[in-house]
Amino acid sequence: MNSDVLVRVSGLHKSFGDSEVLKGIDFEVNRGEVVAIIGPSGSGKTTMLRCVNLLERPTAGRIEVDSRVLCEELPDGSMSFSKKAEIRAIREHVGMVFQRFNLFPHFTALENVIEAPMAVKGLSRSDAEARAHELLESVGLGHKADSYPLQLSGGQQQRVAIARALAMDPALMLFDEVTSSVDPELAGEILQVMKRLAQEGMTMLVVTHEMGFAAEVADRVLFIDHGLIVEEGSAKQVLANPKNARTRAFLRAVLERAPMAEEGDPAPEPAGSSAPGLSQIVEGSDDVEQ
Amino acid sequence: MDWDVVLESFPLIWKGASKTLSLFAWSLAFGTLAGLAVALMKLSTTKSVSRFATLFSWLFRGIPLLILLFFAFFALPEVGWLLSPFWAAVLGLSLWTAAYQAEVIRSGIIAVDLGQTEASDALGMTRSHSMKRIILPQGIRIMLPPFTSNATTLLKQTSLATLVTVPEMTLLTQRIFSNNFKFIEPIFVLAMIYLAMTTVLVVGQQIAERAFRLKT
Amino acid sequence: MELDWSVVGRSWDLLIGGTWVTLQLFVWSLALGTVLGLILALMRLSRFRALRWLSLGYIWLFRGIPVLVALFFAFFVFGRQIGLSPLQAGILGLGTSAAAYKAEIIRAGIMSVDPGQYEAAEGLAMTRRHYMRRIIIPQGIRVMVPTYMSNTILVLKVSSVAVAIGIVELTGITRQLSNSTNRPIELFTAAAFIYLMLTTVLVIVQEILERRFSLKT
Repeated sequence: MNSDVLVRVSGLHKSFGDSEVLKGIDFEVNRGEVVAIIGPSGSGKTTMLRCVNLLERPTAGRIEVDSRVLCEELPDGSMSFSKKAEIRAIREHVGMVFQRFNLFPHFTALENVIEAPMAVKGLSRSDAEARAHELLESVGLGHKADSYPLQLSGGQQQRVAIARALAMDPALMLFDEVTSSVDPELAGEILQVMKRLAQEGMTMLVVTHEMGFAAEVADRVLFIDHGLIVEEGSAKQVLANPKNARTRAFLRAVLERAPMAEEGDPAPEPAGSSAPGLSQIVEGSDDVEQ
Repeated sequence: MDWDVVLESFPLIWKGASKTLSLFAWSLAFGTLAGLAVALMKLSTTKSVSRFATLFSWLFRGIPLLILLFFAFFALPEVGWLLSPFWAAVLGLSLWTAAYQAEVIRSGIIAVDLGQTEASDALGMTRSHSMKRIILPQGIRIMLPPFTSNATTLLKQTSLATLVTVPEMTLLTQRIFSNNFKFIEPIFVLAMIYLAMTTVLVVGQQIAERAFRLKT
Repeated sequence: MELDWSVVGRSWDLLIGGTWVTLQLFVWSLALGTVLGLILALMRLSRFRALRWLSLGYIWLFRGIPVLVALFFAFFVFGRQIGLSPLQAGILGLGTSAAAYKAEIIRAGIMSVDPGQYEAAEGLAMTRRHYMRRIIIPQGIRVMVPTYMSNTILVLKVSSVAVAIGIVELTGITRQLSNSTNRPIELFTAAAFIYLMLTTVLVIVQEILERRFSLKT
């Protein structure tokens, strides 16, 4: 087995009731690689990402993370899933950042970050806090440690959510449209943090509408449509020279809407991070898939 | 209405207040704990467990409290379970409250954003940990108003314990009916005491609600 | 201890007689509670402050005291003065208590109707009387049905409290039979069963009403 491969997904199918959202997905992610997943709303990209840590249970297929099998099909066609404890053990090493942040609103930023390391990894409070302060500092929110989520902007909340996921020392980070719920002018501060994470060698699987980010940071891009990977290749190739007609149509549609992102009031400069610099090609807003 | 009789009645009825309040406190404590258990069972993915919880709710919400009290008082001794009137009343009141509190707790839990469960799952937390630290603390905020309204109902329903001979306020009031043949004055006193107690509960709820409000 | 269910069969006629009294108490106190509740709800939404305060005071009073205390008042004070039968006093006590809850349910239903509906009705020059009756209340009913019905189930169960003023309804007759036959387990189980059937019927009625009043989409 090639230990360079961190995630190996094959024959992934997922249905919700009668509608089949994923129709047979195969892909691999190598250690240290940043893979961007793009595609229209409802294409199944979010569902696919959520299968990787079993937030969604596939109806068929095999998923392997860090050489551990999360689920596979038995010879009789039924699905076999890891035991709860094993799934938890794998999730310890897979960080996830959600579109809608999902911070714990009754905890401060610091408490959000230390809860899981203490509960799951058994860290002492002082160790967990020291690490949490470091992480909050690194996402530019050292001074917001004692703020509650509802006291923070969307961009700040999402950066706390990234720090919370990083506190588990994950081997893999999953990002699910993490800029879609924030005002366009605040997206930059989140992307900045993600970019640095990529430079530090984190393995990342990123569902995104930020084509600029995909172009700049991703090693590889997967284009998904109607539950299938339609096109796959280096960022440059897929984004600049798409071979598939559907990829071309999608990119054209996204680019035509792009100027909308520049409208709106100028943002108050977020503390500790500089937003601009990235070519923002933002789809104004996007409905949650499913 | 004769105010002298009002003044005479008050201490006689007030003597039962501690019984009323301890009926209330014990039944609220047992009823809430049992209600929490039933709520968690109802949310269980194991069919038989959630069915049992549904049956419990259907049963104890479908039967009048008074039947439960009479059952505890008259019927349980037949199977050798001899409870004092007080504890028979607490048993009946607790089961009855549990069925209602279970519904309040269950809806509080499911009202918490699903994303909170997903975030806890993604961080590798166990279900019991996320229930205790993430979901319930947020659900409590949502549960508080219906919880208090159940509690207020319970406080008033403790008056039924008079029918199983617990010497709480209502029973002492009835004693004045038969001893002194006075009605309106003791009823007035009894009503005022209950009103004061239920009003305190409602005010308490408002204070608690402020304490649980999310910081913004 | 041997259970002897034949006692239920032998007492069946009496239990059904008690059930009949329970149903009378229930239906009449529900009717009184609903009509009085509607009046109280409209008073609370009235332009006149005195009416609003009167309604608020009534609701606060009757929601703050046990139904048993309302029954005592209806029976020992009011009923003795104007000579009501125990059943009439029971209906009065249960109905006046239920009215306080019904008023809040009806008010919440009326308040839930989108303010745009009032504006549209006024824009069409309808009178307040007309649009309340034809536009607002019909829409409010849809919202009220679940809470109104679950409160109605409570009214049925609470009618058992009438045993305290000597009305021999289902709970009362069961207690008497239990004392005379010394078969409390069998008899109270039978009474519980009858109540469960009645409340289950009401739950089914609730579901039918909810379906009937749901908006067509």
